[in-house]
Amino acid sequence: MMDFSIFLLSLAGFASLLLAMPRHQTDWVGRKLSVRFGYTLRLSGFAALVLAFAIACVGFGWAYGAVVWFGWLTVAAALIVTAHTNRERIMRRTRR
Amino acid sequence: MSEGALPASESLTAHRLPERSFRQSMAWLHEWFGLVPGWVLFLVFLFGTTAFFQQEISGWMRPELRAGGDVTSGALHNIGVTLSPKAPDAGFWGLVLPSPRGGDAIRASWQPRDDSSGEAGEAAFDPATGAEITMRDTRGGWFLYRFHFDLHYMPWWLARYIVCIAALAMLVAILSGIVTHKKIFADFFLLRFGKGQRSWLDAHNVTGVLALPFHLMMTYTGLVALLFHMMPWAVAANFQSEEAFYKAAFPQDTVEASGKPAPVAPLPVLIAQAERLWGASPSFVAISHPGDAASVATLYPLRDALGSNPAPLRLNAVTGAMLNGTTSPGAARATEGVMIQLHAGWFAGPVLRWLYFLAGVGGTVMIATGLVLWTVKRRAKLPDPTRPHFGFRLVERLNIGVIAGSFAGLAVYFLSNRLLPLDMAQRADWEINNLFIAWGALFVWTLARPAKRAWVEALAVCAALYALVPVVNALTTSRGLIPSLIARDWIFVGFDSVMLAMAAMCALAAWKVAAHKPKATPRRKAHELAGAAA
Repeated sequence: MMDFSIFLLSLAGFASLLLAMPRHQTDWVGRKLSVRFGYTLRLSGFAALVLAFAIACVGFGWAYGAVVWFGWLTVAAALIVTAHTNRERIMRRTRR
Repeated sequence: MSEGALPASESLTAHRLPERSFRQSMAWLHEWFGLVPGWVLFLVFLFGTTAFFQQEISGWMRPELRAGGDVTSGALHNIGVTLSPKAPDAGFWGLVLPSPRGGDAIRASWQPRDDSSGEAGEAAFDPATGAEITMRDTRGGWFLYRFHFDLHYMPWWLARYIVCIAALAMLVAILSGIVTHKKIFADFFLLRFGKGQRSWLDAHNVTGVLALPFHLMMTYTGLVALLFHMMPWAVAANFQSEEAFYKAAFPQDTVEASGKPAPVAPLPVLIAQAERLWGASPSFVAISHPGDAASVATLYPLRDALGSNPAPLRLNAVTGAMLNGTTSPGAARATEGVMIQLHAGWFAGPVLRWLYFLAGVGGTVMIATGLVLWTVKRRAKLPDPTRPHFGFRLVERLNIGVIAGSFAGLAVYFLSNRLLPLDMAQRADWEINNLFIAWGALFVWTLARPAKRAWVEALAVCAALYALVPVVNALTTSRGLIPSLIARDWIFVGFDSVMLAMAAMCALAAWKVAAHKPKATPRRKAHELAGAAA
C-alpha cells in the first residue's frame, strides 16, 4: 500500500513535470498552456515527488524510505518516458 | 522530434569541430572508458543483478529443500543433540543458519581438538525438522554472487584488481556521460524507446539516465566494498601485517579449555539469548571447546538491517551468559557498513528487492547497448563497411561473444543443476564448468558467422535455453511451474517466470536484429558532411 502510493505520486509528479514543459504541451494537449498554468504544473509536480519522499520516510524510516523512493522514481520515470514515446498510438486510441 | 533531441555526443562527432571542446573530450572519455572495461562491467552487472536474488536462486537450485528459511527451535534442539555424539572429539563447532529468505539448509561443521585423533566433518540439516538431509551438490546463487567480484579460474586478488579498475573506469564513464548528455533535465522526456535507427542510442540513454542514481550508487559503493583491496596503504602504514590489522579491528580472544566437562546449553537457548540481546537473528554460530566448562559461543548477526547491525556476541556456551558488552562500531566503519548494505541490498524487502533487480537489469542493458553503440556509430564511418579494420572486428566479436555468450552460460548453469547426475563427483564444480563451456562454445560459433547472423543465432540460442529451464525443471523435479502455482510456492513460480521472461526478451531481441535493415541515409549524410568540411 505504502509502495503503491509512493509509486502513484511519483507517476503523477513526472506527468505534471512533463506537461509543465511548453514543447511537450503541444504534443499532448495540442496547444501551449499559459505560463502561469505551466508554472503551477511544475510546482505541483515537484510537490508530488517531495510528498512521495515524505510518505516513504514516514512509512519506512528515512534510510530505507529514501532507497525505496529512488526505486519507484526510476520506475515512474520509465513509464512516463515510455508513454511519451508512444503518445501517437495512445492519442489515436483515446480519440476513437 | 526536433534537432535539439540529438544528444551532444552524436551531433558533435558528426560536425567535427576543429578544436576539441570540453564536452567533446568528455565524449571521448566516455566512449573509451566505457568500452575498454565494458565487457568486465557487463559481467559484473549481469551476475551482480542475479545476486539480488541469491537466496531465492539457491532455493531453486536445491529443490530437495522443501521448507523456507524459518529455523525452528525444535530443529536447533535436534541438531545440538545429534552433534555431540556425531563429533565427540570436536574442539570447534560451526553452524551456518540460512537467511529467512531460505536457499540453504542449516550447515554444521566441526574440527577435532588438537590432542585428539578425531576427524573434521560437516553435515546439513533441515531447517524445519533438524533431520539430517542430503542435497544435490551445488554452489547455487552463492557462485553468481562471488563471480561478480571474484570472477573464476583466476586468483581472487587478481580478479578483484580487474573489477576495481573496471569500476573506477565506470565511475569516469558515468560522470563524463552525464556531461556528454548535456541537457539531462531539459531533454529528460525526449528519451525514447525503440524508434528507428537510433534505438540503440535511445536504449542506452534511457537505461542510463533513468536509473542514474542506482548506477552511481552501485559503482561507488562497489568500490567502497573493495576499498582495502584497492587502497591498502592506510592499513599497511599502521600495522605490521594484514593479520595484525584484522586482529585489532575484529578482536578475538582465544579460549583455553578447562578440562572440566560440561554440556553445551541447548542451541535454541543460546540463539534466543542472542535474539533478545540483539533484536536480530544470528547467521553463524561458532562454539569453541564444546563439552568443556570453558566453552564459548560466538554468534554473528544476520546483516539484514540498513544502518545498525549489531556486533558479534560472545556467550558462555554452558550457561548462556553474556561475556562481552555489545560494542558499537566507529563512525568510519558504520559508514562503510551502510555503503556496503546499500550495494548488496540485503536489507531490502520483497518490493524493494524487485526494484533493485529491475534497476540492475537496466544497468546491464545500459552497458550492453553502450558496447553495441560503439560499433553502430563507427560502422557508418568505416572506409569499407564490408571489410572493417581489426579493432572494429575485435570489439564486434567480443560484444557478441561476451554479451550473448555469458547470458547463455547462465541458463546452462541452471540447466546443469537439473541435468547433471546427482552422484557425480565434483558436481558443483561441473555446474560452473558447464557455464563456461557453453559460453566458450557459443563464442567460437559466433566467430565463424557473419556479425548479424551471429547476433540473431546467439540470441535465439539464449531464448531457447531460457525457455528450456522451466521445462527441464518440470520434468526432473515435482516442483514445476504449475505444481508450484498450485502450492503457492512463489520462489519457484517467480524463478520459472523470470526464465520465461528472459526467453521472451531474447526472442524479441533476436527478431528485432533479424528484421533490422540498416538504412543508407546516415552514411550518405556523414559522407556529405565530411565532403562539406573538406
